[in-house]
Amino acid sequence: MRETPLSNCERQFLLKAIEEKKRLDGRQTYDYRNIKITFGTDYGCCIVDLGKTRVLAQVSCELVAPKENRPTEGILFFNLELSPMASPAFELGRQSELLVKLNRLLERCLRNSKCIDTESLCVVSGEKVWQIRVDVHVLNHEGNIMDAASIAAIAALCHFRRPDVGIQGEEVTVYSTDERDPIPLSIYHMPICVSFSFFLQGTYLLVDPCEREERVMDGLLVIAMNKHREICSIQSSGGIMLLREQVLRCSKIASVKVSEITDLINRALENDKKVRTEGGKFGFAESIPKQRITVLKSDGALLEVTNLEQKAEGIASGAEPISDLGRASSPVVRAPGTAQVGESLENAWGLEQLEEEEEEEEPVDQTMDEGQEKEEESLYHKKGEVVVISDSEEEDVVILHPETKVKDSDQQTSSSQQQGTGVTKKKKKPVN
Amino acid sequence: MADCLKDKVGSVLLPGDIFSFESKEEKVICGPGLRRNGDEILVCKSGILRHKQPNMYWIDSQQKRYVPAKGESVIGIVTVKSGDVFKVDVGGSELASLSYLAFEGATKRNRPNVQVGDLVYAQFLIANKDMEPELVCMDSCGRANGMGVFGTGGLLFRVSLGLVRRLLAPQSELVKELDRAFPFEMVVGLNGRVWVKAQSTQHMLILASLLETCENMTAPQRQALFRKVAHSAP
Amino acid sequence: MEVDGLCSLALREFGCEQNLLSRPDGSASFVQGDSSVLAGVYGPAEVKISKEIYDRATMEVVIQPKVGLPGVRERAREQCVRETCEAALLSSLHPRSSLSLVLQVVHDDGSLLSCCLNAACMALMDAGLPMGCLFCGVTCAIDPEGRLITDPTARQEQNSRAVMTFAIDSAQHRVMMSSTKGSFSLDELQQCIAVSQRASEKIFHFYRESVRRRYSKTL
Repeated sequence: MRETPLSNCERQFLLKAIEEKKRLDGRQTYDYRNIKITFGTDYGCCIVDLGKTRVLAQVSCELVAPKENRPTEGILFFNLELSPMASPAFELGRQSELLVKLNRLLERCLRNSKCIDTESLCVVSGEKVWQIRVDVHVLNHEGNIMDAASIAAIAALCHFRRPDVGIQGEEVTVYSTDERDPIPLSIYHMPICVSFSFFLQGTYLLVDPCEREERVMDGLLVIAMNKHREICSIQSSGGIMLLREQVLRCSKIASVKVSEITDLINRALENDKKVRTEGGKFGFAESIPKQRITVLKSDGALLEVTNLEQKAEGIASGAEPISDLGRASSPVVRAPGTAQVGESLENAWGLEQLEEEEEEEEPVDQTMDEGQEKEEESLYHKKGEVVVISDSEEEDVVILHPETKVKDSDQQTSSSQQQGTGVTKKKKKPVN
Repeated sequence: MADCLKDKVGSVLLPGDIFSFESKEEKVICGPGLRRNGDEILVCKSGILRHKQPNMYWIDSQQKRYVPAKGESVIGIVTVKSGDVFKVDVGGSELASLSYLAFEGATKRNRPNVQVGDLVYAQFLIANKDMEPELVCMDSCGRANGMGVFGTGGLLFRVSLGLVRRLLAPQSELVKELDRAFPFEMVVGLNGRVWVKAQSTQHMLILASLLETCENMTAPQRQALFRKVAHSAP
Repeated sequence: MEVDGLCSLALREFGCEQNLLSRPDGSASFVQGDSSVLAGVYGPAEVKISKEIYDRATMEVVIQPKVGLPGVRERAREQCVRETCEAALLSSLHPRSSLSLVLQVVHDDGSLLSCCLNAACMALMDAGLPMGCLFCGVTCAIDPEGRLITDPTARQEQNSRAVMTFAIDSAQHRVMMSSTKGSFSLDELQQCIAVSQRASEKIFHFYRESVRRRYSKTL
C-alpha cells in the first residue's frame, strides 16, 4: 500500500520547529516519549509501548545441535518482523532495506555484545545446546522502532525461563514447568539502543525521533550501551559528517537514558515477579487500561442451557431433510478392484420431466390440440428407449428415485411395469 | 413508518440492525451508514443515528479512512505532475486527478504554479465507486472561492473524520471555544486533514495537540482544558 | 448424551479495546481469558493491479504467529477468517480497492480461532467498513466423557476429543463458518451449534456495550 506522502508544508514546519527547539508532541530535545513495559502470562513475552510505537517480543527455546566450531555454546537467534499492521508501507515477507538494517542492529546490540552467557546454554557438549530465539514484532510504527525493539528484546530475555534438563548417561530429559522450576538465562549486562536524529547537516539533534521527524532527518546515530557506560555498538547512517564532540555528547546523553531505561525494566521485572509469587493476576488481560472509553471488559458469562436438547432438536428438525442418504449410498462393485457409490450412468431427466408434465396436464380438458399430443407421444417413446437400453438395471433406477415412484403409484400400477403402458394410459386420458 | 427510526435517533447502532417499514407512504432519505434493503433499512456502520428535518437519517461514526464523495472539500497533497493533470493524494483508495485548467484564471498558456508536495484545497467534481475521482479548484462560476494551493508556514495534521465533521458543523462549539483561546487560521478538509496557522510555532503546536486530544472528551472537560491552555499560553 | 456440569458451559471473561493503534484505519484487541489477539485493518486502500477485482474489494487476511514464521495452520485459519469477513462485508461498495486485515496472536490459551474472529469483527467495525451483519466466533470442545465445554483453554482443548469453532452472524444467528477437529456425533454437533448460538448472543451484547461505551461521550 501507499504511504501518505509528506507535504512540503509539513517538512518546512518541522524544520522550523526544530530550529526553535520545539517538537510536535511538546517534548524537549533530549526527552524520550513515555515508555510502558508489559509482560504476558508466558515467560519471555513482553510488549513495549514507546509513545504510540508498539513492539511485541517473545523468547522461545529449543534443543539443537551446536555449531561445529563452537561445540559448547548455545545459539542466539534474533528475528525482527515489520508486521503489515504497523504501517501501510510495510509489506508481508519483503526484505526491505529498513528490515535488514534493524535486524542487523539488533543482532549487533544483543548477540555481539556477549550480554548473554551462551556457555551456560550447553547441555551435552557437541551434541545438544539450547537455541534461544527472540521474535520481535513491530505492531505500530510511530518512529524509533530500534529503541523500542531493543528494550522489548532485552526485557523479554530477562523475563524468560527455560525448562530444566536432567542428564542421565546419554539420555537428556526436559522437565516440564510443573516438575521442576524453569531456569532464567544468565545475563551479564543489558545493552539498550538510543537513537539520535540529526537535522540540517548535523546542526540540530533530537533524541527518540517520532515518525514525521524520521522522515525529514538527515542522519541517524544509534548507540547501544549498558548501564556500566560500556558502548556495545554504534552506528551512524544517512551520510552525515559528525564531529568528535557531537559523538561524545551523544554517548553522554545515551548513558543517562540507558540507566533510566534499565531501572524501568528492572522495576517492571520485579513487579511482575512479585505478582507471580503472590499469585495475583498478571498478563496482558490485566494491563488493559479499563478507564478508557474505548475499552470494555466483561466478567465470564454463564450460558443458560436449560432447553439445550430442545434447541438442538430444533436445529435438526429445522434443517432440510436429507433425502434418504442411507439407501442411495450402498457401494456397488462393478469389476474386481473397483467400487462405486450410486449409479451415475443413466440420465433420468426424461423420466422426471414427463411425470411433472403429466400431473400438470391432468385438469386440462379434452380439447387438446393434436400437435401437443404428438409431442408427448414422441417423448414417451424416448422414455421407453431409455428403459430398453438399461434393461437389467431397471430396478436400480426405481430405487434411486423413490419419490417418482410414489407420485406414479396412484395412477400407474407400478413403474417397473413395461413403460409402454404409460403411453397408452396417457393417450386414453384426453379421451376420458 | 419512520417512527421506529425516530425513536432511535441519538442512540448507538451496530451493523446488521434492521428497521422495517409496514407502509411506504413516508419517504426516508438514507445518509452514510444506512442502506435500503428491500422494504427494510439496514445499518452498515457502527455509530450514532442522527436525524435532520424533515426525513434525513444517517450514522455518525468515528472512522479514519476517507472515502471520496461528490462535492466534498478536501485537503490534498500533490504527488505527481503528469502531463495535463496533477495526481493528488486525498487519503482515499486512489489518487485523485486535478486538471491544471481547473484553477481560477488558468489557461493553456497561463499554468498555475503547483509543485509536487504542495497542499491544495479542492472540491470533488467526480467521486463514485466506479470512477477515478476528479478534483477542481474552482466553483461552478469559475471562481476560486477559497480553493487552490495554500499552506506556507502552517502545520498540517490528521484527525478522525468524526472530529472534522464536528469542526465544520455550522455554529460549531469546538471552533468557538478554540477561537477564544487565541487567534488562528484554519483549513479543514473533510478527509481528516487539518491545517492551522497562528502567530507562533508554539501556538500551532498547542492547537494541533488540543484537537488531537479533544476527540474523546465531553464538553465540560474540553472547556476546562481550553481555559487552562488559554491562560498559560503566552 | 447429558449435559451436566453447568460450570463448563461458561465463557471466560472477555475484554476488548478499540482504536488502540494509531496507524491502522481500524484496530482492536480482543481478550478471552488469557487468549489475546490484536487486529489491525487498512482499507479501502490502493490495490495491486494483479489482485484487483473489478466489482468488489479484495480482502486479504494475515495471521502472524508469535513465534516463528506463519505456516500451514495459520494459512488455514486465515482462510476461515477471510471467508467469514467476506460474507459479512458489503465489499461491492468499494470495488477495485484492498481491505487488509492483520491479526497478531498475542497469547494463545485456547479458542484462538474464535478470538481471532472476534478481534477481526471489532477491528472491521472500528474501521467503519460497510457490513451487512456482524459475526462472532465461539469455540466448543467435547471432552473424553462426552461433556461439552465452551470457550476452552489450551489445556482443555488438548484433552478433548473434538474441538469445533463456529462463526455466527448477528442477524439470524446462523452458522457462517465452521472448523472442526476430532470426531463427534451428529447430535453433539447440533448441541454445539445450539450452545454457540446461545453464546453468540452474549458476545453480540458485549459488542454493543463496548461500542456504546466508545460513543458515550459524543452522544
